[in-house]
Amino acid sequence: MSAVETRVHYQEELERLEASALGGLDLVSAALERTMEAVEHTDVELAQLVIADDDRIDGRYLEVHQSLITLLATQSPVATDLRLISALLHVLKNVERMGDQCVNVCKLLPLSGNEPPADREMVSRILTMGKQTKTLISQAKRAFEERDVAMARDLVRQDDVVDNLNRECFGLALEIGDDADRREWAMTMLLAARAIERIGDNAVDIGEQVAFVVTGLFREFEDASHPSS
Amino acid sequence: MATEESRASSGRDAREAAAARAGIAVRPDEFQHRDGAAGKEKVFELKGVDVRYGGVAAVKGISMDIHRKDVTALIGPSGCGKSTLLRCLNRMNDLIPNAEVRGGLLYHGEDLYGPAVDPVQVRKLIGMVFQKPNPFPKSIYDNVAFGPRILGRKDDLDQTVEEALREAALWDEVKDRLDDNAFGLSGGQQQRLCIARCIAVQPDTILMDEPCSALDPISTGKIEDLMIELKREFSIVIVTHNMQQAARVSDRTAFLMVELDADEDNRWGRLVEYDETERIFTNPSDKRTEDYVSGKVG
Repeated sequence: MSAVETRVHYQEELERLEASALGGLDLVSAALERTMEAVEHTDVELAQLVIADDDRIDGRYLEVHQSLITLLATQSPVATDLRLISALLHVLKNVERMGDQCVNVCKLLPLSGNEPPADREMVSRILTMGKQTKTLISQAKRAFEERDVAMARDLVRQDDVVDNLNRECFGLALEIGDDADRREWAMTMLLAARAIERIGDNAVDIGEQVAFVVTGLFREFEDASHPSS
Repeated sequence: MATEESRASSGRDAREAAAARAGIAVRPDEFQHRDGAAGKEKVFELKGVDVRYGGVAAVKGISMDIHRKDVTALIGPSGCGKSTLLRCLNRMNDLIPNAEVRGGLLYHGEDLYGPAVDPVQVRKLIGMVFQKPNPFPKSIYDNVAFGPRILGRKDDLDQTVEEALREAALWDEVKDRLDDNAFGLSGGQQQRLCIARCIAVQPDTILMDEPCSALDPISTGKIEDLMIELKREFSIVIVTHNMQQAARVSDRTAFLMVELDADEDNRWGRLVEYDETERIFTNPSDKRTEDYVSGKVG
């Protein structure tokens, strides 16, 4: 049978929406980079910019979400297309949450004071977490674009690095000493570390959606309520 | 008034009697053989069925089980042989000169094409509804009473007609004008009348060949609701071009496609994938099914 390709416009629209949703990850990546810069230099003004710019990420969410709903309503997608749209709706939510976590970190910075009694060790771990999380975000995007389940699964391993750094921050905060200002600063920075750690978890969630698009089965790569180890 | 249960059981008795006359043994429910995997009783078992018209294959090598009280949808592009296949199931192809059915086709475990089987009796057990509503040029009542009268059922004819019209979800719309000509009904009502006419002879299975393609969306919705009601008592096999209809009403879906020989001289239909409808429309196994249900290949 000579295969006639049909529904070209629908296909193009779906491809455009995938690129647009995954492009949200680039926005998050840029926001995270500026967030880390703000953390490194306690740059409250840069932090304000990141907070203001989150509207762009939210705008992307709303725009692509609406277009996907329209596609569902008008095109009756099935099979792989349906799984892709379902996955993109999840990914959009992840992107929006990641953006919000950057905002959370940026909102914490003014609380830590203008010349905070920063602990270099802890700051350096948070910056490393930021760098590693950026890698996770770009890997999640690539795994989605290339429908590469192995690469998506590898996100769990990469995320363990972030989780370990977060735990180390906790240990450092415990031993920060008796000075009240230093303790307050450390508590604030723990919340920041926690927010970055959550960004990594969102990247892993995107990886799970990659596996769903490819295999049709949804399985959590790691079940937090039933840890394997 | 007959209870639901006694009606069902008298319907079954009548079906069994008709089956016995047709030389087909419909086994009582408690002795029905079951398909271990699906846990469902089989109505039809097709084993390598070929259909030829004048020696030219229309479909080849169809093997599938059709389960009792399921709605089974046959989908596929034009010319893939889905109507041909449907018509095998009640021996309608016998009416076409030079049509020939080969391979195994069991109905409740018995050879549907066996020498002792009377095709006329088969069509009482396995009714058919066509694409275009085809009521007789008679009153609404006479359309439904036609089958039972031919079968010599004189008593309780009024009740039989009422029950069939109720089951076809048409009674409330026509109860005050049973003597009117059936052609005065709307297309959707005519199609439900044809369904009533079909179930008035208490069949076991209803075959539907694109029953909604001539109907508007409201009438289509009514027929689809009706199919879901009817599968409580009947097995239904439907051919449809409307994939969303297959997705909405069927339990299992079979996808057929056209195959060409090397020099593209001959074409025939073959079964590509047959699975639970949910799976066909969310995660089909075969790329060709995927492309067809997504509408990417015509």
